[in-house]
Amino acid sequence: MSMKPRDRVLGLFEGKEVDRMACYSGMGNVTTAGLEQLGYKFAEVHTDPVKMANSAATSYKLFGYECAVVPYDMCVEAEALGCVMNAYEDVAHLLYPTIKEKLIHSPDEMTKVTIPDNIAGRGRFPLVMEAISLLKKDIGDEVAIGSWFLGPFTLAGQLMDLNDLFKLVFKKPNEVNILLDRLADLIITMAARYREAGADYITIREMGAPTDVLSPRSFRQVIKPHLEKIFKNIPSPKILHICGDTNLIIGLMNECGADAISVETKNDLAKSRATIGSEPLLFGHIDGYNVLCNGTPEDVEKAVLASIEGGVDAVWPSCDIWPTAPLENLRAMVDTVKKYGAEKWARKNR
Amino acid sequence: MTPEREKDILGRLAEGVLNYDEEMVRQAAQEALDEGMDANKAVFDGLVAGMKEAGDLYEKQEYFVPELLMCADALYAGLEILRPHMKSTKEDGGVKGQVVMGVVQGDVHDIGKNLVKIMFEAAGFEVHDLGKDVPLEKFVEEQLKTDSEIVALSAMMTTTMVGMKDVIKAIKEKNPKAKIMIGGAPVTDEIADRFGADGYAKDASNALKEAINMIASLREL
Repeated sequence: MSMKPRDRVLGLFEGKEVDRMACYSGMGNVTTAGLEQLGYKFAEVHTDPVKMANSAATSYKLFGYECAVVPYDMCVEAEALGCVMNAYEDVAHLLYPTIKEKLIHSPDEMTKVTIPDNIAGRGRFPLVMEAISLLKKDIGDEVAIGSWFLGPFTLAGQLMDLNDLFKLVFKKPNEVNILLDRLADLIITMAARYREAGADYITIREMGAPTDVLSPRSFRQVIKPHLEKIFKNIPSPKILHICGDTNLIIGLMNECGADAISVETKNDLAKSRATIGSEPLLFGHIDGYNVLCNGTPEDVEKAVLASIEGGVDAVWPSCDIWPTAPLENLRAMVDTVKKYGAEKWARKNR
Repeated sequence: MTPEREKDILGRLAEGVLNYDEEMVRQAAQEALDEGMDANKAVFDGLVAGMKEAGDLYEKQEYFVPELLMCADALYAGLEILRPHMKSTKEDGGVKGQVVMGVVQGDVHDIGKNLVKIMFEAAGFEVHDLGKDVPLEKFVEEQLKTDSEIVALSAMMTTTMVGMKDVIKAIKEKNPKAKIMIGGAPVTDEIADRFGADGYAKDASNALKEAINMIASLREL
């Protein structure tokens, strides 16, 4: 008897027996195909809760993805704190929104940032929560509804100049930590609200912190304490995702208190398993552009098998799925997991 | 200047950059000028050599982005002092190069671009820096307007890298001779090929090397 995607996704976190590993994501996975079917432009789905929810549901409806995730862009938290977003409505090709006006303009403003009391009512937080609720009503019985936040350090990078932030990590880690601690509070508050709105699981994306960027020493000093605080204070299921190079810090990531760790293609899964052992849940690590967009269905199958055989517990893309990924590739991803997700799942067969 | 003295000053310029010691760099740069060292030599064999070493440490995962940024600050501190005394590459009979650079639209991450920029500046290139979040057509316009030999495009995210393809195509159509270098975290050799770029840099460290190599090979022409 086959399980519902929702039970398969959530059952794993609850320690229940599930029939196979799931194929889903904690990050954006809307496709151009989905947008076209609805007649939406990408630039307009970020500011309309109905369009956001409808478009997010297309991945399940079109290729059997086992989740629905909103929002898509990385500006929601920063906007609620006072930054200004650019949705690129006038640009013909597909672009993700960015922050065009920062909140912190000099290093000494960094420690002056406070989280407003009415944070849940600011910016697009109400809109995202509405989209979550709409998704829950639409397909929430079938699939798991996910949402996510930027990790505190990555969020700080949206609020201030990155050059300054990186240098301050080195020169004034204590002041950086004051800001990040407040941002951690914001994430804790809003994670609870997202859950109330109907989100089944929350992913924290600390993509500013791989070892392409920061040393393991800095990770210990300014990244880990805040992730620990967040994961201690938000309800399960909760996942930590970091893209880029993560093998040097996978042990530290595992100590942050998330229920699962998600990594990208650059991560050597065998090495990760050697470091963290077979027990922690590890998700990954299909290249969302080079494989899902530019590859053939055969390439996708190969990549999915490599992830499964590398020891993942759910097949996830390494970041947002780039929207132009052809449906045949996405179907190949889901089908390969259906085919091998029980037979080749190390956890199930030990 | 004795060879020992020269070695000492160049060594301190490089070491100052590597240890992000701006004061050491400033002092050594001033001594270089006061004692009549060729400013170009001080820049290339001192400052740039130190930055290259920092790039090697990044590759070995001993240095990370914050360290590289501080090395770049130290390099700039020296460059400010030495640059007015550098022989213009034109008089030198060497390369007078121009480069248009910027981060493609949708992307606001300019650290890699800034690190590459500093190398081009050190080499005496005229840099037309378009900044970050640059609309695609702006690159084409600027290349045509300045007739620059090199266009360097940067993207930090996969989601914006895709836009490079159109820029490269548009520039090549208007001016097939322009050399295009692309870089940033998601870029690979394969993507550079697919997009029709002439050169690529895999990460911050390789961007530095690529810039240094490109400059070095142009200097030899």
